[in-house]
Amino acid sequence: MTLERRRTPLKERLKIPLMLTPALAVILLLFLGGLVAGLMQSLGYFPAAGLTEFTFRHYVDAVTDRNFLISLWTTFRIAFSVTLLSTVLAVGAALVLRQRFSGSRLATFLFQIPLPVPHLVAASAVILLFSQSGLLSRIAAALGLINAPGEFPAILYDKASIGVMLSFMWKEIPFIGLVVLAILQSVGPQYEELAQTLGATKRQRLVHVLLPLIMPGVVSTWIIVFAFTFANFEIPLLLGQSFPTTLPVQAFREFQRPELTSRPTGMAIAIVLAVITVLLLIAYRRLARYSRST
Amino acid sequence: MTSTPTPELAPGPAQAVSERLLPERRQINWLRWATVTIIVVSVVLPGVSLLLRSFAFRWHYPDVVPGEWGLDAWAYTIDDTSRVFESLGNSLRIALLTTTLALLVGMPAARALGQHQFRGKRVVEWILMMPIIVPALVAAMGIHIVFIRLGLTATVLGVSLVHLIPATPYFVLVMSSVFANYSPALEETARTLGANKIRVFRYVTLPAISSGLLVACLFTFLISWSQYVTTVLIGSGILITLPMVLFPFLGQGNAAVAASITLIFVAPAVMVLILTSRSLGRGSTVMGGFGKV
Amino acid sequence: MTDVSLVHLGRAFGDKWAVKDLNLEIASGEMVALLGPSGCGKTTTLRMITGLARPTTGDVLFGGSSVVEVPTERRGAVLIFQQHLLFPTMTVAQNVGFGLKMAGMGKGEINQRVEEMLERVELSGFGTRKAHELSGGQQQRVALARGLVTHPKVLLLDEPLANLDANLRITMRHLIRSIQRDLGITAIFVTHDQEEAVMLADRIALMFDGTLQQVGQPDEFYRHPRTASIASFFRSQNFLPGTRRGNVVSTGAGDLVVGHNVADTGDGPVVVTARPETLMLSNRPGGENCLAATVTSAIYMGTHTQVFVQLADTTWTVHAPPSVTLETGDQVLVELPKEHIWILEDDSEA
Repeated sequence: MTLERRRTPLKERLKIPLMLTPALAVILLLFLGGLVAGLMQSLGYFPAAGLTEFTFRHYVDAVTDRNFLISLWTTFRIAFSVTLLSTVLAVGAALVLRQRFSGSRLATFLFQIPLPVPHLVAASAVILLFSQSGLLSRIAAALGLINAPGEFPAILYDKASIGVMLSFMWKEIPFIGLVVLAILQSVGPQYEELAQTLGATKRQRLVHVLLPLIMPGVVSTWIIVFAFTFANFEIPLLLGQSFPTTLPVQAFREFQRPELTSRPTGMAIAIVLAVITVLLLIAYRRLARYSRST
Repeated sequence: MTSTPTPELAPGPAQAVSERLLPERRQINWLRWATVTIIVVSVVLPGVSLLLRSFAFRWHYPDVVPGEWGLDAWAYTIDDTSRVFESLGNSLRIALLTTTLALLVGMPAARALGQHQFRGKRVVEWILMMPIIVPALVAAMGIHIVFIRLGLTATVLGVSLVHLIPATPYFVLVMSSVFANYSPALEETARTLGANKIRVFRYVTLPAISSGLLVACLFTFLISWSQYVTTVLIGSGILITLPMVLFPFLGQGNAAVAASITLIFVAPAVMVLILTSRSLGRGSTVMGGFGKV
Repeated sequence: MTDVSLVHLGRAFGDKWAVKDLNLEIASGEMVALLGPSGCGKTTTLRMITGLARPTTGDVLFGGSSVVEVPTERRGAVLIFQQHLLFPTMTVAQNVGFGLKMAGMGKGEINQRVEEMLERVELSGFGTRKAHELSGGQQQRVALARGLVTHPKVLLLDEPLANLDANLRITMRHLIRSIQRDLGITAIFVTHDQEEAVMLADRIALMFDGTLQQVGQPDEFYRHPRTASIASFFRSQNFLPGTRRGNVVSTGAGDLVVGHNVADTGDGPVVVTARPETLMLSNRPGGENCLAATVTSAIYMGTHTQVFVQLADTTWTVHAPPSVTLETGDQVLVELPKEHIWILEDDSEA
């Protein structure tokens, strides 16, 4: 005899898909739709400008431009330096701030301040502080270190993009630091205490116990920060050199030219930008899976 | 509880002989000192320099403090010609609409991801989290032509829809970790006690998630508030937001006006910080969520 | 081989003393249980022995020399935590070999000693697994192996069995005990479970409120507890207050003659106790130490019948033969043989 199974009502079966639909619709239509539309334009399908023929010409144009490689390198150099420096300093700050000492609560509160502050505000403050007639230059002059504004190191609109990097780091160090701090707090002191009773010195506890425990979280934020810095537009536009600039700035400039026919080239640069970040994401997932499996 | 050891209660015959008090170890920790100093300076100094600059009338080099004070920059900022008020209104409208939309589309998804196991969950997470990594600017550039055709450019709705691209993933990320820490057993108990779904939400669910929800909404608001290039693109230069007014002043414009607009621009962030500092501080689950992306 | 002495050991948090003037000698190779309700200071004591907490007063001696100034990592006192805390980023073998690696031992020797230790805890072949792939009991055995592989001077266990289910607890108990005996290692473990302490320890040190109450062999706590609080911590239920004069105690239910082996409490207020299995239901009116009582309930337990009786204004438990049938309200005589009566200091608050 077979028992008749009661059917799950349709409403029940559709519950989860229905809950997911609105958010998925937003991302699929606006985000993926935007990417696909951009891809089409970069491949030469752009009826608004009278272009309907598929071609890789715009990619060839974009990539063979000698500015492209220089911009790519500049973008990568800034993103990589910012991410690396921010991560190291953020982990250091988190390791100090998780201890309780007089002043630690105030420092932790102040440490959070940059998190909700817009990047443009960070840039504004960097200009006021670091320009050659800025506050730091004045303080240096007051201390007798320099005699004229021109003697203050030029770190805005500079070749090394120090001003750009400072603005990013002011925002990203607290971001990474607070994530690491949250992980450290959820881990608690017990693993270290245990390692200590097993004979691990302070340095050994840091290298063999703490760093491995926070590494997955650090890598996650590393990817977020790298991708964000890589694709940011306003900071390098405002504080960087006008040439060479970064890929997002270059893409947007091409895109905004009055003649619509240069749009596909701008779009092609943007798509390259997106592909690089996707590759980064895939590499990260591989890395995460690899580190979990071993 | 008495505050001092009472020897007569203590066992052991020789308690008075060798009860030595050990000194607690104390040492000056240079690393702590340096970290705290750097944090204080790098947060306080920008704020101070913005305030000084916005109230400075004449500030000759190399004076560290302005020679003459004045309200000229603020007078210009609140004047209609600066378009600060107009753009402030737009920024607020867009950020509020974006937050509302993110709330509507994000809540059910966050709940599904935080509390339910289902087939394809990883794929859904992957799709929803993609805009955190892949730049929204590229999608906005691609969708621009579609928005022109739909008449969405230079409208509050159009700009909000584009802001939704970076805002939705962060909203879902924060809220799903809030839901993951919240047990549905409480709701089930309330149901067995005769509460209907609306009442369960009102009296059980909402109070439990409210602080996490506040953080998620405030952060969504700030993501929209901080957007620059996507607004320039979809706003077509017609719909002006606050960062768009600020931007030209940061290049070669009047530094005092730049400072005063910057202070207005940063005000919501400061308010958000005050409202959320407790949930972002020690032992927070909200920040921990970013470590699991 | 290390003996451990705790001398006037104390730790204060502000004004509050978590542990106060604790004196305890633990012989080399001995296993001592620090027993007490949660919050009584036993874990703090353990942390002071490892060096994770700094004593406010007193000293910790290993083999006669003070270790208070020796940092935890060089003290050789291994602590096994209640949550087994296997490093999630390492394999089982890496976890077990952690302490040896920290000591700078060569890879070959580490592998060999880890393998031996895993065999000892019956986990051969699990070396390549990750911590989360093991059951709770297996994780605890790995934690034990990780602690013992470094040949510590002292083994400290903080509620080692608390997170395990009943069956696992028994096997783990045997394992811990046999390894500790084989290695001859001095061990101190913390528990709130008196049964666990009785079954595992050579001696028990009982703590209430940061203060040592009684130290002794397990059976002393059942037969000769010092105070009523200690007796009730060991699940004694029979207490009858009275006034002692010589070897006679006057109680609300009548006078009792006590044997000569009872504690020297002196005359004055005391509490009389006796274990349920030593009591007899008697029908000899006027016999020595026979007190009139009223049955409040009787439960058939298979091997005996558990009878609850009202004695003066206290409730006593008596284990009667299984054949006894009694009804609520029956009048009985309870006989307290004088060699089984024990007298306690009256330390009740009221």
